[in-house]
Formats: sequence, structure tokens, C-alpha cells
Amino acid sequence: MKTWSDRYSAVVGAAVAVALLVPASSAVVTSLAQQVDPSRMGAGIALVALAFAGYLALARAFGPVATSAADAAWLLLSPLPRRGVLRRTVGILLAISLLGGLALAVGLLSALGVRDQLTLRLLTAVVLGVSATIGGMAMAVLAQASQAWDSWLLGTIIFVMALAVLAAVLGSGLWRPLPAAVAGVPASVGSAIAVVSAIAAAVLARRAWAALERVPAHRVLAASTRTGQVATATVLLDPSALTWIAEDEHWRGRGLRSRPWPPRLHGPLVLAWPDWRRLARRPGRSALLLASATLPALAARAGGGLTTFALVLIAAGTLAAAAACTTAARRDGDDPSLARLSGVGTRPALAARTLLPALAGGGWLGVALAGLVAAGALSEGPWWLFGPAAAPALAAGALRMARRRPIDHSMPIIPILGGAVPMGPVVWALTGADVAALGCAPVLMALSTQPPALGPYLVAQALAGTGVAAVFLLRRRVR
Amino acid sequence: MVPQMIIEARDVGVELGGGPVLRGVDLRAGRGDIVAVVGENGAGKSTLLRCLAGLQPGVSGKVGVFDRPPVDEPAFWRDVALVGDEPAWYPGLTVREHLELMPAVHAAARMEVGTALETFGLAGRGDMAPLSLSTGQRQRLSLAMALIRPSRLLLLDEPERGLDPAFRSRLAACLTEYAAEGGTVVMATHDLRLVEVTRARSVTLEAA
Repeated sequence: MKTWSDRYSAVVGAAVAVALLVPASSAVVTSLAQQVDPSRMGAGIALVALAFAGYLALARAFGPVATSAADAAWLLLSPLPRRGVLRRTVGILLAISLLGGLALAVGLLSALGVRDQLTLRLLTAVVLGVSATIGGMAMAVLAQASQAWDSWLLGTIIFVMALAVLAAVLGSGLWRPLPAAVAGVPASVGSAIAVVSAIAAAVLARRAWAALERVPAHRVLAASTRTGQVATATVLLDPSALTWIAEDEHWRGRGLRSRPWPPRLHGPLVLAWPDWRRLARRPGRSALLLASATLPALAARAGGGLTTFALVLIAAGTLAAAAACTTAARRDGDDPSLARLSGVGTRPALAARTLLPALAGGGWLGVALAGLVAAGALSEGPWWLFGPAAAPALAAGALRMARRRPIDHSMPIIPILGGAVPMGPVVWALTGADVAALGCAPVLMALSTQPPALGPYLVAQALAGTGVAAVFLLRRRVR
Repeated sequence: MVPQMIIEARDVGVELGGGPVLRGVDLRAGRGDIVAVVGENGAGKSTLLRCLAGLQPGVSGKVGVFDRPPVDEPAFWRDVALVGDEPAWYPGLTVREHLELMPAVHAAARMEVGTALETFGLAGRGDMAPLSLSTGQRQRLSLAMALIRPSRLLLLDEPERGLDPAFRSRLAACLTEYAAEGGTVVMATHDLRLVEVTRARSVTLEAA
């Protein structure tokens, strides 16, 4: 039961949130009132579509109908009306949909620009965005209750992703007038479309509310377990646990077909092979990883040049691609039982495991830089060569990241202007990225200065990449 | 020359948090010996195994394995196989592939992979991911991985954990065969029937 103190805290919290959000929101709305170059619209639409596809995929992956462990254990299997038990969950899903819809609306208006009737177009975009997210969330709820709806949801995700690809590819070519025509649609037509989409979303939400009674308990229980694990990992500030939850969930109960080990592999190379096999067994994920290398080019086109956002995407994507291929090293770092059974030393095992993250990270960077050249964000030149040149440093950074210890919460909290920074999470986040950044310093400098001649930078990058990887593997204590 | 005495531990002691966990423990094991470390919960059986594996810091007394102090290094693990808590399995690999990993990395095997799958009752589970197995089946896989690879010393911490009675008899046969080939087994166990069937020499630990 809520006390007066609880109510007071809630009201004060809401007032502070409004006081903080109103100035930020008005700044965002003011910045929307500008026209966008038609050549950038396609890329912007593609980014918004990708964000929406990601939202739908997350909703599908996490349930979305889940409840607390206690409710799942006691109330879900009781004769109580299911909708009553899940009322709080529905409220949370609605709040997530509203926030997601607002973000989608802002993204859409940023991509298309606003040339007239700001208030009406803003309202239209908000209705469109919120309808899309509420409709999408309702589909995910229906998918939890029925296999047919799950197929529809999967089809919608694929359709939205295809739309993103089309917008990215066609938006800059002969079809460039298309997004401009969309942006130029009279506000009244946009409003009519928004009303239709709102009605469709309401119908879907109504069906989802009715379907809540029929969602099989085991599916809600499974989703609750997943959400509970994620919540625990978040509360304990152990982000690496999240990836293990997803990884174990993927392989548990999955039918596989054993294949013999390549006969020529011996010693440490054998320990490197599980990552290659795992990658081959997740072709969709590998294709997605490769396709994501086009994101920096999209961001650069939408932003009208090599923006900070595009640079962050390059850095994060490159390291993520390399880190995605170091699962076996992470396993052995977390629990060395299998490594001990194999009797192979840490250094030879790490050296053998360098090749795949080097190929993945270097390849991703090469494709991303080639995409930026094609998008006109970088000057003409063999920028893609920075990929292979930086590959050893990326592998070293990814392997260091794979072997980092859990966050040390006993580290001091450093007071800075306007707050305090706990050093444990900071050191954890920087472990691995530090080596990669050091080894990739030449390419980072080249990206920030865009020199006319790339030759000296490429040579420096090859030397720095190889040197950093060699020091990482040859130092006395490998960690 | 291969030493006949594989393990020689004298007056081993361990303190944790200011209290003694082990005190004055002696243990000797030669080639072909099976030694069962028994005792109530908290007597220090797992700690003693960790001492023999070189994984326990702050050990007093003298511990020698193959005439030298045990160390957590590859050369040591090429001779010693340890089965303790369930390991974290490599994601994306099947049961059979986990088993094949051992002969591939050691370039030798004590038995064929197919034979190991049959012996450890995993024949119909070869294409499954370890996470899809039951607790007992995963324990069988851990034991199979330790026993398929060549080694001279086997350290087992409660190998009977999660196993059904029928398979415990089969495990006893596997351990007896391993010892007959010249290997040494030291196991911490609560299963007195396993001790009896393997004709293991018992070392009883009292809570320190």
C-alpha cells in the first residue's frame, strides 16, 4: 500500500523530470523546423526503419509479456484472471511503446525535415510513431500467444528491414525524388495516414488485450526467467552476463549436426576452431554483422558528412565485430576448466584465437570505410586498406576484452564536476578498448584529419597494429 | 625415468578467513593407485584436491605431484585431468565435438570417440548441445572428456554427483581400468559403494 511519503516522492520525481525534459524537448522541436537535403533523406529513413526493426526484434526476443519472478511463480499458475495479474506488465509495455514512439517520431522528422506547419506535422509524426510502436508491441504480444502471429511479426521485421535497405540504396540514386515527395506530402494527407495507422494500432492493441488471457503460462514463465536474468545482470552491473544469457538461450535445445574436426588442426589451433564453427552455425548473425558495416555510411549520408555519430559507429562496430568472434576465449577466461583439460597454455591459445577476430574486425572496418568513400563522406583513396592494417590491434583489443575480469565495485568513486564517476565500471569498459584505440591511433588520426596522402598513415597503422598485437601476446603475464 | 610415487603430500594445512580448513593431512599415491578422500561436508576434501591441483593459495606443508610442487601451468595439465564443478561449455559445439576436442588437442586418445559415447551413455546425445542435457548427462560428459584424453593423474571432485546407480557401477569400471593402465586416481567422494567397488584406499578427513 502506498504511503504519503511514496506519493510525495512520485510527485517530486515527476516534477523534476518535467523540469529537466521541457527545455530539452523544446530545443529538439526547434531543431526539427528545417528543410533536409533530399539526398540525405533516404539514409535517414533507413536509420529510422532499422531502429523500428530493432525495437520489434527486441520485443519478440524478450517476450514481451513477462512478470516478476514472484508473480511468475505464485500468481501466474493460480486461477486468478490472467489480465489482472499482468496489468502492471501491460502498463510497462505501454510506457515503453510511448517512449519508443516519441523517439521514432523525432527520428522521422529529423530524416524528412519540416518545411511548414510544424505543430501539425509534429503531431502527425507523434501519432504515426506511437501507432507503429504500440501496434508492433501488440503484435509481439499476439505472437507470444499464437504461432501464426509470430510468423506475421517475423514477416513484419523482415519487411521493415527490407524497407530500410531499399531506402538506403534507392534514396541516393535515381529514386532520390521519392523520399522528397514523401516529405512534401501535404500535412492533411499525413494526418489522414496517421489517423488510419492509429485505428489499426488500436485494433491490434484490443486484440492483444483479449489474447492476454490465452498466452500459454509456460511462455510467460520463460519470458519472465529471461527478463529476470537480464534484470539481475543489470542490477549487479555485469553486462557480460547479458551476452551469455542470449548465447545460452540460442543453443539450448537447438538441433545440431556434429562435424569432425579438421584433421590438420593440432594443439592450440584446435582451441581456435570452436569460434569458426560457431560463426558458421549462425549464418544469419554473421550476415547481419556484415550488413551492419553499412551503418556508418548511412549515418554519414543522413548527417551530411563524417559526423561524430558516424565516427562512434565505426569505432563501436569495428570492436563489436571483432569481439563477436572471441566467445571461446571469453569462456576460458570466465571458467578455465576446459582450458585446463586441453593442457594448452594461455599465450599459444590466444595467439591461435587471434585470426578470426582479426578477420572479422579488419573486414568490418574495411567495408565500413569503403562505404564511407562510396557515400562521399571520405575523399577518394584506398581507405579500405586500413581494415587489414588495423586487424591485429583489433584482435588484441577484442581478446583483452574477452578476458577482462568482472567489474570491481570496490574501486574508488572519483568526484568530478556535476557528479561522481565509479572507477570500477569505467576501467571495465575501457579494458580492451584501450589496446584497440592505441593500436588504431593512425586510422583514427587519418579519419579526423582526412589527409590528401594516405600512404604514411597506412604504413604507421600496419606498424602500430602489428606492434600492439605482438606486445599483447608476448608480455610476461597475458590478461 | 617415471617416478613410482605420483603424489606425496605431508602435513598439508590450509587456513581460510582465519580458520583452519585442513590441518596436518598426509597423502601418498603411487602409479595404479585409487585413493578415495572421504569425510563429512566441510572436512576439506575439495580443498585438498585443489591443493593437489596447484589451485589453492596459502598452502602450508609440502605437496609434491610428480616430484615437484603442483602448478597451474600447461605442462602440469598435460599429465593431470581434473573434474570438479561443471565446466562452462563452448557455445555452438555438440557433445560429440566436445569429446573430439580432447583427442584433437592432445594428438592421442585413450579410447575412440564413439566408444566413449557408448561407455558414458551419451550415444543418442552426440548431436545435442551440452546445455540441452540433464545434470547427470552433463556430469557424464565431463567425466568422458577427462577419461578420453591421455593423462597420468585423475583428480575427481565428487564424480558421483547427479549420476544414477547403474552408471556409478560403470564409472567404477572405467576408473579401475584407468588405474590398471598405470594411471593414478584421487577422488573426493561421499559414495562408499564407489569406494568399495573400485577397491580404493580411503583417506578420511576430519573437520579441522
